[in-house]
Amino acid sequence: MLNEKIDRRDLLLAGAGLALAGCGVGNSGGGSKKETEKVVKAKVDGDLVYFNWSEYLDPALIKKFEKQYGVKVRQSNFDSMSSMMAKLRSGNRYDVIFPDQSFAPKLIAANQLLKIDKSKLKNYDNVWKFFHDPAYDPGAEHTVPYGLYATGVIWNEDKISGMKGSWADLFRTDAKGKIYMLDDFQECLGMANLRHGFDLSTVDPDEIEQSKQMLIDQKPLLRGYSTDDIQNMINGNAWIHHGWNGDVVNLRNQVKNPESYRFEKCKEGIPVGSDTMAIPANAEHPGTALLFIDFMLDPENASQNVAYFGYPMAVTGAEAAFAKIAKDDPAVAITVDDVKNGQQFANLTGKDKALWDRAWTEVKAA
Amino acid sequence: MSATTAPKPFDRPRFLPVFTGLFFVFMFAPIVIVALFSFNSTKSLQRFEGFSLMWYQRFFEDSSLRESLFASIEIAFVTMVAATALGTMLAFALVRARTRWAGTANVLMLIPLVTPEIVAAVSALVLFTQVGLQLSLETVMIAHITFSISYVTVVVRARLAALNPEVEQAALDLGATRWGTLRLVTLPELWPAIVAAALLTFALSFDDFVLSFFTTGESPQPLPVRIYSAIRFGVTPTINAIGTMMLTVSAALIALAIFLPRLLGRRESGLGVLVGREGA
Amino acid sequence: MSEQRFATTLLIPGGLWLLLCFAVPLGLVLAASFGSTDDLGNTIYGWHPDNYRQAFDPLFVPVLLRSVGYALATVALCLLIGYPVAYYIARYGGRWKHMLIALVVLPFFVNYLVRTYAWVAMLADEGLVNGAITNLGIRDSGIKFLNTDFAVIGGLVYGYLAFMILPIYAAIDRMDQALVEAGKDLYGTPWNTFRHVTWPATFQGVLAGAVLVFLPAVGDFISAQLLGGPGTYMVGNLIQQQFLGADNWPFGAALTTLLMAFLSVWMVLYLRSAARASRETAL
Repeated sequence: MLNEKIDRRDLLLAGAGLALAGCGVGNSGGGSKKETEKVVKAKVDGDLVYFNWSEYLDPALIKKFEKQYGVKVRQSNFDSMSSMMAKLRSGNRYDVIFPDQSFAPKLIAANQLLKIDKSKLKNYDNVWKFFHDPAYDPGAEHTVPYGLYATGVIWNEDKISGMKGSWADLFRTDAKGKIYMLDDFQECLGMANLRHGFDLSTVDPDEIEQSKQMLIDQKPLLRGYSTDDIQNMINGNAWIHHGWNGDVVNLRNQVKNPESYRFEKCKEGIPVGSDTMAIPANAEHPGTALLFIDFMLDPENASQNVAYFGYPMAVTGAEAAFAKIAKDDPAVAITVDDVKNGQQFANLTGKDKALWDRAWTEVKAA
Repeated sequence: MSATTAPKPFDRPRFLPVFTGLFFVFMFAPIVIVALFSFNSTKSLQRFEGFSLMWYQRFFEDSSLRESLFASIEIAFVTMVAATALGTMLAFALVRARTRWAGTANVLMLIPLVTPEIVAAVSALVLFTQVGLQLSLETVMIAHITFSISYVTVVVRARLAALNPEVEQAALDLGATRWGTLRLVTLPELWPAIVAAALLTFALSFDDFVLSFFTTGESPQPLPVRIYSAIRFGVTPTINAIGTMMLTVSAALIALAIFLPRLLGRRESGLGVLVGREGA
Repeated sequence: MSEQRFATTLLIPGGLWLLLCFAVPLGLVLAASFGSTDDLGNTIYGWHPDNYRQAFDPLFVPVLLRSVGYALATVALCLLIGYPVAYYIARYGGRWKHMLIALVVLPFFVNYLVRTYAWVAMLADEGLVNGAITNLGIRDSGIKFLNTDFAVIGGLVYGYLAFMILPIYAAIDRMDQALVEAGKDLYGTPWNTFRHVTWPATFQGVLAGAVLVFLPAVGDFISAQLLGGPGTYMVGNLIQQQFLGADNWPFGAALTTLLMAFLSVWMVLYLRSAARASRETAL
């Protein structure tokens, strides 16, 4: 085989075939508005195909839902908004997804999310008023709020101490090789922006350039980029982890020495946001999806979920569960006012998104 | 000058065997250790605490992992059948046909062999999304078949080229039809190569990661993709169990490839065909 | 039916499949590489050679250089380890030759991921090797093996060693024993015999092995992903990120095309060299 004699003419013919094939098909991928306004009955129409961050919904609740409605929940996980979008783009069909408030508008604008008929959700009145008409989804037509979060720094006090409540803690040279950053372009560039004193979601090319450089300079100190902050802290690979407030609670539930794991918000600025639940327009089992969303809005289930993953949910009746967590550790507290007034990741589009994507690719490749 | 000196031991006589011995240790140790710790009674990957089948039990109790195992087997089986059929036909055509198209087809067949897997995977993904095909087991099968055809063709072709055409000619002269000749004369001679190619295809498909990773749907996913996600998440003995099982399947396939022809009365060994001893 | 028509008909199923499922997609990738993306990250075809310009600026070149560097290191190590082993089995294997070569090939049939995972598990901070080190008191804390350049190269070597050994083994096996004997008489020392007789005779095998290791190693992303750290990004990781992590398929397609073109150059050079060599030795 390795001694093939290849005729130049044959190569040319094959190459021409390749080129001709390329002058063809196009695909835009947007949906039609009509599809998003499909009428869906809130009843079981098949197993639920569920797509969420890992360790972000109580497995006991999944089992409870399966039992209550006699369906199976097929779970898949993504590890960043970008990979969620990539999987959606690849044509995979899910029934319920969890975009955050900066990506939900993109999906809405492209008619990719089903319009949610609130009258079909028994528990919708439990949703906090603020989220009945949030900026990212006017009229809350396509999403239902999930958890509220803030980004900060998680660390293991047994391994390293003397944290200063600043983003500079992620640059400690005495923890070299034991630091992880979130594998998310918005979180990382955002952090660098805040540390420089810029706007969290600045789109000024010079400012992005400086933030990019800061991240590149940080690389020698890092063990890796990962959004599995819970597991990385537990298995000891990470002493310091760029992470989210609720994850430290979740992680404490899993270890023998919960007091060792701490969280801090940073003085230069705190990114906050909210995650949402949504139903893709091409979902195969939207009825079951509606039932699932309703199920999660039940105060009892929401409280159980809060205790599991450590974030407040925008559901009346779940506040007590979160108040208990916040009392034990005020550092993880976050309220709806924080979300209203705090710095949120913007919905970047067009040239701005390309600027951020490009900077992030350069950070990764350096 | 003595023309027949006894062969002197080549330079450092003990170096080579020792080196080769170390090499085999280096190659097999990690695999043995993976297998060993799959039977560990604790989660530890450092100390072997005791013998237990719990990790295998966990694997078989996990319905989604079971589904992945069956998915991998199903994909490999379909790939094997389709690729072997297409590849054998192609091999036949490339050896016997004398048209201009044969040359182009030859180039087309060889390119996948030297294409890096990631390029192959990316182009398959682009194809499926542009055509509007939803990612699923079927898309994985299509990708696997596409890249297995070339292996089959190369193996079968080598064997075919070495066959004596006079036997076929004699059969035709004696009044056999072309199909008859094919069935009674050519195929039996070609058979060890076809079987070897088929088993090779099965093994490659079952083990494949890169192609599957880019073209798989959500559920079920082939086993290697599950291993990858599991490793990203953290190292646990369940992965060892999965790995050991895959290892056993592969070993069984190779054993089959080597011994099946011999068992069924052929003199040549399957391995010989693969390594190109006969008719290369 | 004439033999010709029969044989030509058989060309169609396989040929058509390859055309539709292999050639056309490559063409699509080429076309996509000139496209751009919309807000959701979907590909829009058009004429935007920007992607290639982007690929050539300081971003891509270091990543490619690193990939080539790792691949070359892998080839060198595979050669250093593989040649003696191939030599030993071919010349001194005797009755066990076939079995030994089968043993060389056997690990290759274990899933590449599983083999890489074996090293991850062994070299992890709480893995076997570090466990031994701390238990035996060699050091207090473990050594960080993983997430380094060496771990990545080690993983690549482990993954592709068999590809180097097989062609060299075949070449040594084919070599005429008498040549070596004559060489020993002529050149005296074993080293000179090796340099002047054995090495040139087996060079085509070495070249084949080098190509079989180098080409896939450049595009590999598994070793870098599982064994490497933030500083070991290879071309394969970059392409993977563009397709499955970021929102930029056209850029990923451009990188893919460039990778394919880069490797094709080496492939063509190798084929020319092999063709020339077989012409020269076909006396």
